[in-house]
Amino acid sequence: MGIDLSVNLGGLVMKNPVTVASGTFAAGQEYGDFIDLNELGALTTKGVSLNGWGGNDAPRIAETPSGILNSIGLQNPGVASLKQHELKALEAYTVPVIVNVSGHSFDEYIKVIESLESCNRVDAYEVNISCPNVDEGGMTFGTHAPSVEKIVGMCRRATKRPLIVKLTPNVTDITEIARAAEAGGADAISLINTVLGMAINAQTRKPELARVVGGLSGPAIKPIALRMVWQVHQAVSVPILGMGGISSGTDAIEFMLAGATAVAVGIANFIDPRSTMHVIEGIRSYCQLNGVDDVTTLIGGLQC
Amino acid sequence: MSKLVEGICPIISNEEVGPRLFLMRLDAPHCAQSIEPGQFIHVSVPGIEGHVLRRPFSVYDTDGKSIISILYQVVGFGTDRMTELVPGDRMSVIGAIGHGWIVPNDAHRVLLVGGGVGSAPLFLLARKLKEQHIDTDVVIGAQTLDALVTYEDFRNVIEHAPIACTDDGSFGVSGFCTIPVQRLLGTTSYDMVFCCGPEPLMHAVSDQCRDAQIPCQISMEKRMACGIGACLSCVVDTIHGKRRACVDGPVFKSEEVVW
Repeated sequence: MGIDLSVNLGGLVMKNPVTVASGTFAAGQEYGDFIDLNELGALTTKGVSLNGWGGNDAPRIAETPSGILNSIGLQNPGVASLKQHELKALEAYTVPVIVNVSGHSFDEYIKVIESLESCNRVDAYEVNISCPNVDEGGMTFGTHAPSVEKIVGMCRRATKRPLIVKLTPNVTDITEIARAAEAGGADAISLINTVLGMAINAQTRKPELARVVGGLSGPAIKPIALRMVWQVHQAVSVPILGMGGISSGTDAIEFMLAGATAVAVGIANFIDPRSTMHVIEGIRSYCQLNGVDDVTTLIGGLQC
Repeated sequence: MSKLVEGICPIISNEEVGPRLFLMRLDAPHCAQSIEPGQFIHVSVPGIEGHVLRRPFSVYDTDGKSIISILYQVVGFGTDRMTELVPGDRMSVIGAIGHGWIVPNDAHRVLLVGGGVGSAPLFLLARKLKEQHIDTDVVIGAQTLDALVTYEDFRNVIEHAPIACTDDGSFGVSGFCTIPVQRLLGTTSYDMVFCCGPEPLMHAVSDQCRDAQIPCQISMEKRMACGIGACLSCVVDTIHGKRRACVDGPVFKSEEVVW
């Protein structure tokens, strides 16, 4: 029996439901020694801004129970460099590319998208209105529903390509934000970005991160992510890209049952650079064992 | 940097060689055959699944065929767990990673400075310098004599006896490595200084070399996540902006580092 693993994420056709979480995978080249990038359902690039950002001071990471706390701060060389180098290198591959877009202002997001519109190595945008590690833009836009609807609307008018909007979990009601993104014209919603947290060294009496606070990711946040995917799936009709602590096929299936159409593997890539392949294989073997011939039948299949 | 490979590597031995210091030998042909002095491996320690990151270790020695060794200090949960591993246990090892020490083609005499466990990534370099017949002085320091675990190995490889320093004066020079380094820089004409150790030591030696107008390379250790250049966690501030310790380093020219 052939198993159909393909999914449609708001117009982005993926041959399997697995992509990577932005920021954990650069633009893929670093993983080329370990996996065939073309085996991914899609490749999501590190967040890019208009003119490039230097990012935050080190230390930028701290290991915490079943997770890591990061405050990278969207260090990136700017959209022109992304086009000239990373997206150029991806011309050698057929994998669909989702470019994660960041900005300090509404205008900056639009300018980044406009700059990428002529690039044929972009298959979809993921608008990052949820990074907790920058002072302007990022999460500040993603926690206020009217701002979310406005910026998503502006991005919507700038492109006809699939528009994915990445949400922060650091809000009181995730469904309100998701509805605003949908109303603004999002084709899909991705969640969750990292959970704002901190870590302290009792011996030095100092924070573990130079920025003091940072974003928590990894298995520690998986229950939060599952809950939010489930809530958002009931609140909106656009498809969901689920993420938060996924490192196995079983994790991915849980997200799909909660309502995700596709999933992203994040820091599991740091532990095992072949994680994405294990997740794809795990989804396939779950389908085989459970008589599932079309993976999309699992979406939202949670039996409460 | 050559292609990165992950290997599942059996532990051959894992012995305590000093206070909180262990020498682990691994069967890791994928690293042993390609390792350059100053490169490191990124290790997944079994049995600490709640601690999700790999741990980076510089390679101390290799037989060039299948075996590598790492000299590690117990500093936290991961290294503490590593001390319990026994021959036959396996670890996932990615390597060999990074840009190591660069020996100038025309070098005649060089100085190696290693503080604490920081002398580990200098040992393979000492072997290479010996093969290239480059006159090498070594200064190594530790808190106490029993922590000066690399002394004999360096003594067996280089022509001149290593100059040892101990913080407590239990052996060699009493005090930090910077004391003999200052004297040597004033009396000897070096083509390059290679330094690895605690960041204050590397900073101090970099300043000494700058004042003596001798080029210096240092090996930076930063908190690391992916270890392959993707996540931008381990950045070092340089005059060229933020650079990744894992793949742009770990060895940097000291004059490029912004302390």
